[in-house]
Amino acid sequence: MAQHTLEVIVENSPGVLARVAGLFARRAYNIERLSVGPTSNPETSKMEIVVNLDGHVLEQVIAQLDKLVNVISIIEILPDEVQPIVHDTQPDYQN
Amino acid sequence: MSAMNGASSLVASLEAAGVDVMFGIPGGAILPAYDPIFSSSIRHILVRHEQGAGHAATGYAQVTGRVGVCIATSGPGATNLVTPLADAAMDSVPVVAITGQVPSLAIGTDAFQEADIRGITMPFAKHNYLITDPADIPRAIAEAFHIASTGRPGPVLVDIAKDALQKMTDFNYPTSVSLKGYQPRTITCAESITDAADLIAQSSKPVFYVGGGVIKANASRELFELAQLLGAPVVTTLMARGAFPDSHPLNLGMPGMHGTVAAVTALQKADLLITLGARFDDRVTGKLSTFAVNAKVIHADVDPAEIGKNRFADVPVLGDLKHTITALIPALKESLAKNRPDLTPWLRQMNSLKTTYPVGYDIPTDGSLSPQYVIERLGKISGPQTIFASGVGQHQMWASQFISYEYPRTWLNSGGLGTMGYAVPAAMGAKVGAPDTTVWAIDGDGCFQMTNQELTTCALNNIPIKVAIINNESLGMVRQWQTLFYEGRYSNTNLESKRVPNFPMLAEAMGCIGLSCDRPEDVDATIEKAMSSDNQPVVVDFRVNRDAMVWPMVAAGTSNDEIMIARETAPDWGSQEL
Repeated sequence: MAQHTLEVIVENSPGVLARVAGLFARRAYNIERLSVGPTSNPETSKMEIVVNLDGHVLEQVIAQLDKLVNVISIIEILPDEVQPIVHDTQPDYQN
Repeated sequence: MSAMNGASSLVASLEAAGVDVMFGIPGGAILPAYDPIFSSSIRHILVRHEQGAGHAATGYAQVTGRVGVCIATSGPGATNLVTPLADAAMDSVPVVAITGQVPSLAIGTDAFQEADIRGITMPFAKHNYLITDPADIPRAIAEAFHIASTGRPGPVLVDIAKDALQKMTDFNYPTSVSLKGYQPRTITCAESITDAADLIAQSSKPVFYVGGGVIKANASRELFELAQLLGAPVVTTLMARGAFPDSHPLNLGMPGMHGTVAAVTALQKADLLITLGARFDDRVTGKLSTFAVNAKVIHADVDPAEIGKNRFADVPVLGDLKHTITALIPALKESLAKNRPDLTPWLRQMNSLKTTYPVGYDIPTDGSLSPQYVIERLGKISGPQTIFASGVGQHQMWASQFISYEYPRTWLNSGGLGTMGYAVPAAMGAKVGAPDTTVWAIDGDGCFQMTNQELTTCALNNIPIKVAIINNESLGMVRQWQTLFYEGRYSNTNLESKRVPNFPMLAEAMGCIGLSCDRPEDVDATIEKAMSSDNQPVVVDFRVNRDAMVWPMVAAGTSNDEIMIARETAPDWGSQEL
């Protein structure tokens, strides 16, 4: 399984880290690495989450993360490519 | 904008949100809110246990389609709401729970009646809030109602520190809600509708796999039109009973662990599942790897995380189901005009299964009362307008199997969480939401002993529900599993409830009419007697045979292909070329 890095923009409010961490825990997804930091907007924070998941499970992680009301956007950072995959507030299933 | 304390701001916000009734119990931390509640236009129903408040809010919401509201104090008051909120989450019911919290400076100190209810409900609540500043109350309430009722509905909890209720603030209810991280898609993408229509028109063995989402989206009428248009069989899951009329010839009944042979087989043998607001729950699919192996899947749902979660969707259709089905009807007409597959052989096969294997039961030879017969008569005598709420277990399955549901929102049960004790408080909430409709709780003797205290609430607040206790003096479903899988070793499933308690006396003690019945020939008269009283709750103790079992059955973890119609009896597939 390849490592995937998700850049998650969240509301800068109490309890958001617990929501994200809790979601990973209860759905039995493993977090490889996690960092949280500020963004240029004081109302939001940026989480970088590295996971060892692929395909269907990775899609589920993103879909479930996206359901958290405090999660604003999810971008998958691809190591070797310039263009990141942008997951807006609703995943696009239409291809 | 006007100045008031946080408590008044809370109640004004609830009024502005359109709340007409709430269920709750006061206590220390929420006490400031109960002062303005005393003079509010909102009807507050004082329940006897917070769990009752939560399930009542759920029952109210399921019957009316509006947001159900419950309110409790901090600590134990709040933790008693955990079960009904988890229940509402699993069954996608719009509920807003208000809880008092200890004063903000005491939070984190293990203060008296402190519990981190926001943290406790985080895993299942659709969203939740901890409010420590009274200025945040109107916005939190407006957002809570918006989140609970839109997209895939669910429970939202608003926990408010006591000092935020006491401090002065300006009341200013927001006119609109905008949440960057919450924008449920309602309009369905046109391309996915066309793809779905084309796939349907190529299919010769399609089946509508209808879930509770159709009822949540108020899309029963649209579904009816769509099903008529295609003329394909329909199965309605436990959460979708009533979404499509049981009397309709295309309805094969309920699929799943205790589904009909026809419904289970239709899913198994289909070449296309037209999935509408269902979620491929394990009780429906059986062993997932053997579920509907030859079927392509159209999966229409408002929740993007459900699509493809358990089963790959060949055509994902994201959006509000009412919009989806409305758009699918003309698209399908167009596709069918180009190519209309002949569904006759498929329908003939399914109808033959429906006729050969209807749900049925054996009448006990010892003259004792058959639980299925009681439930069947309840359905027949009460009629299709009646609302039924059931507990969880054998009686729930029989109530789903042996009552004909013709309309949406007439069948309430705890499908996802499987909450024993759901029936009485949910029926109470349903009756409050639909006061002119007959509401029957069909409960087991085990379930009934978990939440019957709310009958006192019903008696005192003019909520005349009717309760049929299907008393088999056992935790019946567990006993059935012990019969089938544990060699009849009945460990701790014997409740002895034909001896103690005396249910009719218990009912009378709570201000209800108490009746009992243990002979088949008395069933109709007893039901009619219960139906004749409409100003007092009625409880009927139906003392039934304890050995009756729920059939058909797909044993947990096995394939739907291994459905049994009775103990060690599979359907005769010999004549069926599927």
